[in-house]
Amino acid sequence: MPIASVLFAFLVGAIIVAVTRGNPLSAYAGLICGGFGIACTQGENPALQISNTIVFMIPLITAGVAVALPFRAGLFNIGAEGQLLAGAMACTALGIKLHDWPAVILLPTVLVGGMLAGAFWAGIAGVLKATVGAHEVVTTIMLNYVAQWLLRYLIIGGPLQLAAGTSKSLPIGKGAELATILPNDNSLIIFDLPASVYRVHTGLVIAVIAAAVFAILLWRTSLGYEIRAAGQSQKAARYAGVSVRRTIIVTMLIAGAFSGLAGAVQIAGVDHNLTDKYFSDTTGFDAIAVALLGLGSAVGIVLAALLFGALHSGGSVMQADAGISSSLVLVLQALILFSIAANFLNAIKLRIPGLGQAPSAPAPAGVGAALMTEAASAPPEQAGGT
Amino acid sequence: MVRSQLRFLALVGAVLMIVAACGSTSSGSTAKQVKVGLVTDVGGLNDKSFNHLAYVGLQRAIADFNVKGDVTESKTGDDYVPNLTNFASKGYDLVIGVGFLMQEAVGTVSGQFPNVHFAIIDGAGTDASGKDLAHANVESLFFKEQDAGAMVGVIAGMLEKDKKAPGNTNVISAVGGVSIPPVNHYIAGYKWAATMEDPGIKVLVGYSNDFTDPAKCKSVAQSQIGAKSEILFQVAGGCGLGVLQAAGQAKVYSIGVDADQKDADPSVIASALKKVDVATYTAIKNVVNNQFQSGALTFSIANDGAGYSLDNLQLPSDIQAELDKVQAAIKAGTMTPPADIPA
Repeated sequence: MPIASVLFAFLVGAIIVAVTRGNPLSAYAGLICGGFGIACTQGENPALQISNTIVFMIPLITAGVAVALPFRAGLFNIGAEGQLLAGAMACTALGIKLHDWPAVILLPTVLVGGMLAGAFWAGIAGVLKATVGAHEVVTTIMLNYVAQWLLRYLIIGGPLQLAAGTSKSLPIGKGAELATILPNDNSLIIFDLPASVYRVHTGLVIAVIAAAVFAILLWRTSLGYEIRAAGQSQKAARYAGVSVRRTIIVTMLIAGAFSGLAGAVQIAGVDHNLTDKYFSDTTGFDAIAVALLGLGSAVGIVLAALLFGALHSGGSVMQADAGISSSLVLVLQALILFSIAANFLNAIKLRIPGLGQAPSAPAPAGVGAALMTEAASAPPEQAGGT
Repeated sequence: MVRSQLRFLALVGAVLMIVAACGSTSSGSTAKQVKVGLVTDVGGLNDKSFNHLAYVGLQRAIADFNVKGDVTESKTGDDYVPNLTNFASKGYDLVIGVGFLMQEAVGTVSGQFPNVHFAIIDGAGTDASGKDLAHANVESLFFKEQDAGAMVGVIAGMLEKDKKAPGNTNVISAVGGVSIPPVNHYIAGYKWAATMEDPGIKVLVGYSNDFTDPAKCKSVAQSQIGAKSEILFQVAGGCGLGVLQAAGQAKVYSIGVDADQKDADPSVIASALKKVDVATYTAIKNVVNNQFQSGALTFSIANDGAGYSLDNLQLPSDIQAELDKVQAAIKAGTMTPPADIPA
């Protein structure tokens, strides 16, 4: 189902490009070159393109997990962006205040600090949901705004501002930076380019571990069982002795920690300071699409994050090479989401004989249903293809 | 199952090929071409402001010289470094970053590619703490925004002095995006010139802390209108479109920024122009003629890199005469609008 959705999106995207007098083949050649470093026609460096894709992929994995986990508990965490910002702010604040600490202590401190801040941010929504029943969609969206405005305050006129007249923070201490995998050296030439252009950092390892932790937590622990039980039927879960309130709060805390980690890793690995670019950051929202496309499974999330990272990175090359606006990437992302959400590919298949077998059960409608049916059939990795 | 999947893929492939056949290809290259890569900031090409103007400058250079120009729009701030790196790694002769927001990215990438020329609008190549790295391959294209601000300040001040403003409240205002130098230069010239023309005038200054969301600027504008402001100068890019709308709804005057914003709202009486197209064109021309120079190039009224446009209001002849007088004085250097907002 997800693969068909992606194909559908690319097909419609091609039509849009053709209608607007572009060449879909050269557009997609640019996209593939920029995303995966293959089939480059205009002298792009393949290693550089792959490196860029991985840099974009890293926060999407961790934030994708932060959306997928609450999904399993029947919660829609729209607040990954706010939690990510909370993590980024905490990481930066600690990285500045404690800048002279040695790296072995400082780096874990800023990452754990980011996780705690994200957990706190999501925990607010979790507690409100569990105690007074405030809907998490509303509260997490609102908390996104609070985080964004807090960020504005901190770096424009607030305590983290670099200097008057700037809209960024001081840089974090050297000890709080995650190392890049290749040395950050302008004079060392690797694959024909200075080594410092490859920005892939050790946050990649952290992101993969986060995805693994998510899978183990969900399928190999009693807490994971409680989360899944609460997600399928709160009444049944309660009857089975699961405290639904506690599960909601714990789920949101863990999800927030993942988001916060995504933000902290982004600061420690890529940016090294908070800047005004976080005003328009969309990682936490893209993560919702990643979690949906990945069908809430760890492997699926990593693959979906890879696709979205490649789209993000490829869009620029596509525009430079083929002259197609990189906004096409946003159209493709929206189409992927749309076709997953509408689940109408099943409907098409029913009408075109031979394109797919008729489903034996009535086709589930909507995102929630798709996830629920998928959630019911463990292990998750096998439920993807159609 | 597998077969049906294959058949679906084949269908997709067939459609893709048909679609591709409908598209068009164009390519052409000649020897000794100068390759120019333009990277916009998150405002995008359709910002009706400086990204758009940079593109206009690039197109003019393509028409005049043997230049191949390619553009990449940055979707988020995360794109600045990869977008600049892409052009630099492909051996472009000149890579242009549009906007103050790209300073750090230009600083990083220009250090990695010392043989590629870089130009940046409104900034320099800096490190993380905002220090100019002064790389020999970076040209900074700065503007005396205060020159353009002063010209629209003359219009606002004269309208109040002549009692030709909507309510003659003697209060005007400016809405800035973020309190950063290019924004404050505009406001400095505006306030200075308005006070020069009408010493009794009151000039309110507010900031939206945003450059993209019109709603944020609109609320700042509305509170200024509530405080009797009747000529509002927007200095906030795309966010500032909200200022123009708020002025239109309240039937007061507004002033556009960077590009001629006559068509953005009927309330726009004039625009303060920052001629990014002239700057971009000049930077490309310098590379074509092997006259690239590192460091700052400043554009002002004196070299036709700043100015004003008159929009949806017919100005009385005495205001036009005053504008010509002030512009000539700034050009001659006998009048110098301040860079910092006067108290």
